[in-house]
Amino acid sequence: MEAMRQEIILGCVFIYLLLCIGVGLWAMRRTKSAGDFFVAGRGLGPVVISLAVFSSTLSGFGFVGGPGLVYATGLSSVWMAVCSALGFATGYYLISKRIRMIAEVRDTMSMPDVVFARYGSETARLLTAATIILGVLGYLATQILAMALVLQSILSATDMLADISLLACVVISSAVLIFYCVTGGIIASVYTDLVQGIVMIISGALVVITAYSVFGGGFTEVSSILLEKDGEDIMPFGTLGSMASLSWYFLFGLGLAGQPHVASKMMMNRKLSDNRVVLPMTIFGYVIAAMLWVSVGVVMRALVLGDVALPLGAPDEAAPAFLSTYAHPLLAGIVFAGLFAAIMSTADSFLNIGAAAIIHDIPKAIRGKSLNNELFWARASTVGLAVFAAAIALYSGDLVAILGAFGWGTFAAALVPVILIGLNWKQASAKAAIVSISISLLINFVIQLYGIKVPYGISTGFLAMLTSMILFIGISLLEKPKKLPYDIDRIMDL
Amino acid sequence: MKLIHVVFALLLVVAGITIFVLTSEPPLNAAGIASDSIKGVSLGGDGAARLSTIGDAPLYFQIAVILLAVCLLMMGVNPKRRDTLFKGLMAGAGAFALFAWIMLYTSYQDYLATGQTDIVAGFPVPTNWFFWGVWGSFVVFNMIYVVFFNRYFLHPDDEKTFQDLVAELKTEKGGA
Repeated sequence: MEAMRQEIILGCVFIYLLLCIGVGLWAMRRTKSAGDFFVAGRGLGPVVISLAVFSSTLSGFGFVGGPGLVYATGLSSVWMAVCSALGFATGYYLISKRIRMIAEVRDTMSMPDVVFARYGSETARLLTAATIILGVLGYLATQILAMALVLQSILSATDMLADISLLACVVISSAVLIFYCVTGGIIASVYTDLVQGIVMIISGALVVITAYSVFGGGFTEVSSILLEKDGEDIMPFGTLGSMASLSWYFLFGLGLAGQPHVASKMMMNRKLSDNRVVLPMTIFGYVIAAMLWVSVGVVMRALVLGDVALPLGAPDEAAPAFLSTYAHPLLAGIVFAGLFAAIMSTADSFLNIGAAAIIHDIPKAIRGKSLNNELFWARASTVGLAVFAAAIALYSGDLVAILGAFGWGTFAAALVPVILIGLNWKQASAKAAIVSISISLLINFVIQLYGIKVPYGISTGFLAMLTSMILFIGISLLEKPKKLPYDIDRIMDL
Repeated sequence: MKLIHVVFALLLVVAGITIFVLTSEPPLNAAGIASDSIKGVSLGGDGAARLSTIGDAPLYFQIAVILLAVCLLMMGVNPKRRDTLFKGLMAGAGAFALFAWIMLYTSYQDYLATGQTDIVAGFPVPTNWFFWGVWGSFVVFNMIYVVFFNRYFLHPDDEKTFQDLVAELKTEKGGA
């Protein structure tokens, strides 16, 4: 079986891609309106929602970037994963009920719709849509690039496609993504998320077992090697130190609920009472899949620092190198498919919310109504957005890295105060929402654009989020409370 | 004092500690040292030296963040449903989260002072507090959500009120 390793990996990935195309075709028959395209007609069950929420949260970053970061900096980045219990708690305590209720009474399709319903401000809606487009472009470009790089690494290992170009890999992987997103919209997206979530859970569990058996002494031997060679890396704050780690905990823990691709899924469930089941299932799935992040990272670091393996060319090679060297060919195949799953499940969510911002939210904010024939334009803008993001991924040089880093922090800093606090505090004002979104964008952009290094490795997204939260509450407290629309006022009493 | 005022005060505390840290002169290896021999890998070096200029600022920072998180979570429950049991549950879960954090921090300080630590279940003691304590303490809040869902998070009366609101709005729309 070892001799057939590349063929097995390729076969697993091929089957997975075919499955995505099949789901797209199936979902096309169920997508009859823009409401179906963007929020699945608010008719999804708890299993689909929970797997969609966790798989779109744990993107390709968790499967490639995460192990790479642990290899490079020890456990510092694991604060981004350990905070998931807080992140999902804030999401379900603070927004899941109200966002779903607002979706039902106002027929909202997107986060900017919810912001408009809450604040009655077209400017706030426009700024939210602009934030989403900026964040989506960065995130989507990095996901497409990651998808193409993984495909290139698989195909170039075969004799027939040894010289395949990155452009060809971008075209192949984007074509599958675009196909199922255009044909089936969010229905295809969440049902592929279901498949992707299951693949990610299986991959996570199997990889931990494999990682455990790399050293005869299991993780105890891994820890002993790392304690001897450095020590700080296997301690809770890793090599980046305590303030860098804790700033990530703040940003990722309190910021998860502000991620539009996660929060918008909370509008799609059939029944409010499903949330009781969705929350634990989401956490379970996330934890199992995230174990890959930690286990592969620490094992690869121990192998290299312990002089058992040669240093990697780059930290992001940690997961692929581990799979190609230590995993059974069939497991490697499943995990590579899981890797595609992780990337695609996030990318399809971004395509969906980005398309909604372009054809639904911005026209509504500017001319007071959405476009005619929204479903057609939703499909057209999905293609346009994917092609534009692919072009950024291929030709923008450093811009893709800047936009990618900009993603999570942008969403968290701009949307957490407006959504998380705003849906639970009646005095929150439109002016505060506008100022906090604008300032958070400004801080994030200036720091990223000018490459400003923050002392102690403190996250720039954290600084932007903290500032926007303080401004949001401070400005709202200074203003006189305004009367809310009747329906929103009643919902906020529940 | 309303919860939002406590949240605002805690955010200012977090901001104050952050400003203190940002204005402290960072030691040479504050955010790690690049390895000479391995590309892309950094080392932590002397952990105690990294804290020399900021002292216990990380300890207080995270205490404020945990309290902030608990207050925010409490805001998600309708004020009229925040009974004594609910406040007790949140206080208990919050105390557990603080305990886990303090155990993590003090066991890490012990390691910095002595250079020694036990390995339990494959990982050093402070790392176990990190994996299971920091993560697990907030799982308690998720368990509260699941167990007390109908009592605090979607009370049958609230569900009924919402259904009435939907029906009322539909009737209004139909009339208009």
